[in-house]
Amino acid sequence: MSARRLALAIGAPAALLVLLGLLWSWTAAANPSVLPPLGALPAEFAARPDFYLRNLGHTLGSALSGFGIGVGAALALAIAVVHAPVLRSAVLPVALLLNVTPVVAIAPALVVAFGFTQAPNIVVAALTAFFPMLINALAGFQNVDRGSLEVFDSMAASRTDVFLRLRLPGSLRYLFAGARLSASAAMIGAIVSEFTGSTRGLGATIVTATTYLNLPQMWVAILVSALVSLTLLGIIGLVERIVVRW
Amino acid sequence: MTDAIALRGVGRTFPGKRPVAALDGIDLTVRAGEFVTLFGPSGSGKSTLLRIIAGLERADAGAVEVLGGTPREAARRKDIGWVPQNAALLPWSRVRANAGLSALVNRRADRAPHPQRVPQDVDGMLAEVGLADFADVRPGQLSGGMQQRAALARVFVQGAPLLLMDEPFSALDEITRSAVRLQLLDLWERHRKTVVFVTHSAEEAALLSDRVIVLSPRPGRIAAEIAVPIPRPRADGAADSDEVRAVEREITAALRAGASG
Repeated sequence: MSARRLALAIGAPAALLVLLGLLWSWTAAANPSVLPPLGALPAEFAARPDFYLRNLGHTLGSALSGFGIGVGAALALAIAVVHAPVLRSAVLPVALLLNVTPVVAIAPALVVAFGFTQAPNIVVAALTAFFPMLINALAGFQNVDRGSLEVFDSMAASRTDVFLRLRLPGSLRYLFAGARLSASAAMIGAIVSEFTGSTRGLGATIVTATTYLNLPQMWVAILVSALVSLTLLGIIGLVERIVVRW
Repeated sequence: MTDAIALRGVGRTFPGKRPVAALDGIDLTVRAGEFVTLFGPSGSGKSTLLRIIAGLERADAGAVEVLGGTPREAARRKDIGWVPQNAALLPWSRVRANAGLSALVNRRADRAPHPQRVPQDVDGMLAEVGLADFADVRPGQLSGGMQQRAALARVFVQGAPLLLMDEPFSALDEITRSAVRLQLLDLWERHRKTVVFVTHSAEEAALLSDRVIVLSPRPGRIAAEIAVPIPRPRADGAADSDEVRAVEREITAALRAGASG
């Protein structure tokens, strides 16, 4: 990367952040009930970091468990559909139904079912993580070069050969795109599910802060969740760069 | 010599609202070691016929015998080498792994390989096609012509006695195309496989083949069979000879007669 490009890559987002910061400070000064002063946020976090880290831990635990379950189920289903296309017409409408059902509507129902445990948070995170991965995995597994498939077929390659040597490596870009979408979806799912019937987690922290009009606490929780989502995306991107090298 | 391929009354109709008869009453015999080209316009069913011989598609009329059995039996023994239109290299595998693909899939066939199939050394074959220095790069770093050479290496490494090539050079520019063509001639003259080659270049058909089968369109029928008397080896530039031009003219004339009749 040339110096000029590097300066642009760092400078442009930095300039935008400064601009947003100015806008924030200006709004906070003009109307203190909308936004807290920007300086109050680091102070709020520094005052009780363990409180935020504990709640972050809870949310991240739900999000990552949900991500694992949702992505695992989506991959298993996509593999099944690729090998038994008849499943496709059975599976897709149900998956679509799951996807269009609002998470906010499911969360209270799950609290009724599971009680005030972490289970509803994990289930919601899994449900939101499931669909993006399913769609991407299906598209990826079916995106096979026709010529390559003919070459494999002409040698009577087994389905396992075709899957492991052709479909799976050929779909990695799709799978990583799906993983990115699913990771942010799982994070959102975990937080939203904590809005109802949870006393722990960043979602619960945000709700409590809203109730007591504690603007610094609310915004620290929001920014922490955004930063963590960003970190997750960064990790997935890093793994992709290590794995997908062509 | 024995027959590598024997087709009797082979037909194929694609179903649908208005069924399309792609092939009708194809009788064709290919001797072992012969280089036969299927030549015809779009819609003459030449690719369909090749796919039927490969067992990638089924005929719905007639009998197909390949290497003394059904096409699928030959495929299960890895006795059919397929070269598709694109080079179809795996972009994530290096050139060496791509050339050696046949050893990685359907390993069951390698436990007791058919005596007719003689797998070749990967690095030796890459050297033969001039890619020795590129064994460790990924296909994305190769030019189109080099990719097609790697695809040729892959099919010759497999060592199958029968090679089926479906317009393998059609995506290449004319200069690259004639170079890769000579490469194929050179490989074939050294390894002597049975080849069925599909093209819609009359020049390619004349240069490469022992015999050219001209197909007429809708439904695909054999309009003419043209023997190519040009002596071999031809890999050293016979392409310029008047003989090739004469055969080319004969092929084109047969094509026109087939299309009008």
